[in-house]
Amino acid sequence: MDTKGKMMITCKEATFLISKKQQDKLNTIEKMQLKMHLLMCKYCRRFSIQVNFMTRAIQRLKDKVEERGVKIHLSEEQKQQIKRKISEVNK
Amino acid sequence: MLNNGKNVLIYIMNHQLNPDSWVDAYADYLYRYAYTRVSSAEIAEDLVQETFLAGIKGLASFEGKSNERTWLTAILKRKIIDFYRKKSTSMEMTLENNDDRFGKYGMMNDHWMESRAPKEWQINADEELENSEFKSILQACIQHLPEKWASCFILRTMEEMKGEEVCKELNITASNMWVLLHRARLQLRDCLEKNWFK
Repeated sequence: MDTKGKMMITCKEATFLISKKQQDKLNTIEKMQLKMHLLMCKYCRRFSIQVNFMTRAIQRLKDKVEERGVKIHLSEEQKQQIKRKISEVNK
Repeated sequence: MLNNGKNVLIYIMNHQLNPDSWVDAYADYLYRYAYTRVSSAEIAEDLVQETFLAGIKGLASFEGKSNERTWLTAILKRKIIDFYRKKSTSMEMTLENNDDRFGKYGMMNDHWMESRAPKEWQINADEELENSEFKSILQACIQHLPEKWASCFILRTMEEMKGEEVCKELNITASNMWVLLHRARLQLRDCLEKNWFK
């Protein structure tokens, strides 16, 4: 999305920058444009808070599920099936 | 630690004789790992099975430099990437421009439509992040992302692959990647609002 040379950006552009900011640094102009927009727009302010929260939550989900998501597991039967497959290949 | 050919051989023999212990030790871990990154339990199960099979075949290349679980996880990661890469070639990466979240005419062009605009969320971060019900809703929302956005989003945010790598694997341009990631976030936000923050 090209926001060059504009002082005022739209919500569509602002949300894009908020999204981009989760993984990349914005340049000086983009930062200014976003700041200005957020001053005036409560919906995008909400969007920004919510997306930041989502990023944290996903990070947490990713870090923890592997270790602690006890409820997510294979059944004994499924494991047996994998074992059978392995021994077939392994013969 | 395995540092010579003989040890590797013994290692391979042991595990070929007893691959069952492998499954018991690592299957659940790998399954959980896969489950958070693909859209269904069946796909996750298949990927785990493929990982073990590839692990058996590739045992000779395992030199004990990392532990077994790390090594198997690396194989699984590759399987997940391949899974999404295959998907991305079979679908059209069209970046449609009509998003009914935003207005289309006059003053409201490209600004939030009131009915679709973000509502206030009562976020209690510490509580939510630990709440298992919230986590499973977030999980479900990620799993329900439309495929064309999910692949990019999962590889970038869950697998934490670098932008360039994601582009290369999915054969998309950097600017397409940003758009896809953004679409995924818009969708995810809607999903959470609808199912949790209502």
